[in-house]
Amino acid sequence: MSSAYFLIPLGLVLMAVAVGALFWAVNAGQFDDLDEAGRSILESDDERDETTKR
Amino acid sequence: MSAVARAVFAVEGIRCGGCARSIERALRALSGVESVQVNAATGRVAVDWQPDRLTLNRIFRAVDRAGFKSIPLAGEQASERYKQERRTAIKRIGLAGLGMMQTMMFVYGLYAAGPHGIEPELAQYLQVVSMLVTTPVLVYSGAPFFVGAWRNIRRKTLGMDVPVAAAIALAFGASVFNTLRGEGEVYFDSVTMFIFFLLGGRFIEMTARHRSLSSTEALARSLPATVQRIRQDGAIERIPVRSVAVGDLLSIPKGGVIPVDATLRTEKAWLDESLITGEARAVARVAGESLPGGAVNVGETINVVASSDVDSSTIAHVIGLLQRAQAQRPRVAQIADRWAAWFVAVVLLLAAAVALTWSFIDPSRAFAATLAVLVVTCPCAFSLATPAAVAAGTTRLAKLGLLVTTPDALERLAKIDTVVLDKTGTLTTGAACVAEVEMLAQLDQSQALAIAAGLERSSGHPIAAAFAKFDNPDVRVHDVREVSGSGIEGQIDGKRWRLGRAEFALGSSKSVTAADDDVYLSCEGAPVARFVINDELRSDACAATDGLRALGLNVVIASGDNEKAVRRVAKALEVSDAFSRQTPESKMAIARERQSRGERVLMIGDGINDGPVLAAADVSCAMGQGSAVAQSAADLLLLNDSMRTLVDGIRTARRTLAVMRQNLRWAFAYNLCAVPLAALGMIAPWVAAIGMSLSSLLVVLNAQRLASQRWAV
Repeated sequence: MSSAYFLIPLGLVLMAVAVGALFWAVNAGQFDDLDEAGRSILESDDERDETTKR
Repeated sequence: MSAVARAVFAVEGIRCGGCARSIERALRALSGVESVQVNAATGRVAVDWQPDRLTLNRIFRAVDRAGFKSIPLAGEQASERYKQERRTAIKRIGLAGLGMMQTMMFVYGLYAAGPHGIEPELAQYLQVVSMLVTTPVLVYSGAPFFVGAWRNIRRKTLGMDVPVAAAIALAFGASVFNTLRGEGEVYFDSVTMFIFFLLGGRFIEMTARHRSLSSTEALARSLPATVQRIRQDGAIERIPVRSVAVGDLLSIPKGGVIPVDATLRTEKAWLDESLITGEARAVARVAGESLPGGAVNVGETINVVASSDVDSSTIAHVIGLLQRAQAQRPRVAQIADRWAAWFVAVVLLLAAAVALTWSFIDPSRAFAATLAVLVVTCPCAFSLATPAAVAAGTTRLAKLGLLVTTPDALERLAKIDTVVLDKTGTLTTGAACVAEVEMLAQLDQSQALAIAAGLERSSGHPIAAAFAKFDNPDVRVHDVREVSGSGIEGQIDGKRWRLGRAEFALGSSKSVTAADDDVYLSCEGAPVARFVINDELRSDACAATDGLRALGLNVVIASGDNEKAVRRVAKALEVSDAFSRQTPESKMAIARERQSRGERVLMIGDGINDGPVLAAADVSCAMGQGSAVAQSAADLLLLNDSMRTLVDGIRTARRTLAVMRQNLRWAFAYNLCAVPLAALGMIAPWVAAIGMSLSSLLVVLNAQRLASQRWAV
């Protein structure tokens, strides 16, 4: 049972990391627009064609 | 520490994260910039800066120097606020969700041990750890409930946050107490779960609210910040939209937005006016026509002359009206709030009664039962039932092209039984056309029309427009003389032709019985033709009146026009109740008379000169286009000039009301079933948390059906 005394605090540290990562992602605007990113790959991007052409 | 200002602007030319980083670097290099956020996806840059060390202009210049074009945005503050609200909500939900999973795991250890129990030290340990996890969830994620409850208590009202905060505080307090003394139940799992689910329900409601506001935002955002002005010397300069003055000549490229109301200078233009009218098809405009601000040029580059500045343009008025409508709370929601307050009071009393009763029967179960009652009852569903439906219904109407400007209008629109229609500009286009031609002499009909058109060629009279399409340049007219209020005369091939009222055109040789409003053509005093001039009926007027009748509504026409014109329209539309030669006062009398019979009246007019008439009705709707409509005080604005939209609108309003009732009924039925079970101690607090959340969720999702496109109107 002594393992619980070690593993549970470790779990708490991981949770803190997860919360920190989530807050960072939200503040960085990752969740601001969930639809646009999916839509944008379908839109034609004419300017970029020239750079990929060789 | 000096004050910090926040500026949000769009940047043209961001294509990748690399561009975003270079803008960020360029701005961070400025002294006085506190933080920079560049969103490559939306092309938005947010800068926190100190106004006393930096000017906005220098920020823009820095962006320009980095090789990008910065564009200040109108109406961006609002969307920035929504974004912050959304971000905070996601963080709260995220923390609550993670905390909930952790505490459930720990508490499972306590439950799963069963009757044998686990080592007391380990149990104590798990409880302490649960407490450590729950505390930040309570403080950060649960904050809005405590803030809301405190606000309610200070204002001496009872809102839905009061029982929620009471339940959370009680459960947490008791759990901490039991943890510290080392015996008794803990409810940390229920606390985190309750907070998580409640926040989830509110997040959905918030998203729906933001979506209904996004139509305003889309309008505001669609306005560009700068526009190309053509100077006197022909050079093109880029000026901020703010500084556009009436009379400026503007060049609008393909895909550009006309930022202010303007008159078309170029020969022809194709415009997408869907932002203002909801009409998806592009419309053709010819030189001289006025264009509403907010229209998008979908054809080639055009030149327009500004006829308003940005604050008095059509789109600015529409935005203002939408904001006004969204700022007010509808009466139904206010009533629902009042009911919710009563409901909360009853819940609190009930919880107290349950606690008291159980303390006599079995004190050990009193707390759990009380907690379950507090959690399972759902003032949330009551409070969400109406606003969720109204928001979704209003959004749907806006998509149709019917703007709700007063919050109660939706509910009243659903309940009307009589529609009073104006004729000119409502059922008819308001443009004159030749409805009937009677030949009085041996002459070809088309020739008579061409001669009439020739006479009217230079006239500015409204009737002239009716003949314009018959004009033939071969008809040469000389010595044209217009007699105001009577008609027009001119020389064609040496003969004197007259067009106008009977007494003017026919003069002494009155061989024909003259009907009051007909127009006569005469040659040297001899009658040649009689024209019946009428307003053109809207193409969808017939379908619209049929649709209104299909909804079980009485249709009445009240027009200021003469009897014959009204009768013709009434006959075409098969409307039996038609009143002609109506003054605004008599139109009001018609509405009042119908109202005294217990009918609820919807008045539809062009919104320009019938303000008091519209005000007399239960619901008023102005139709037409341009700023005149946007300035009117009508409850509803029909923006796309299509009467059919009105039929769809009424149907939507009725559906909204039905959904509202379903929601309230559901909330009532749910509580009726759940409260007794909870009071009898048959529901564990965590089950109560799930039940309550599902109830709220159901209400919100039910309302969202209104906004979805799936059902056909």
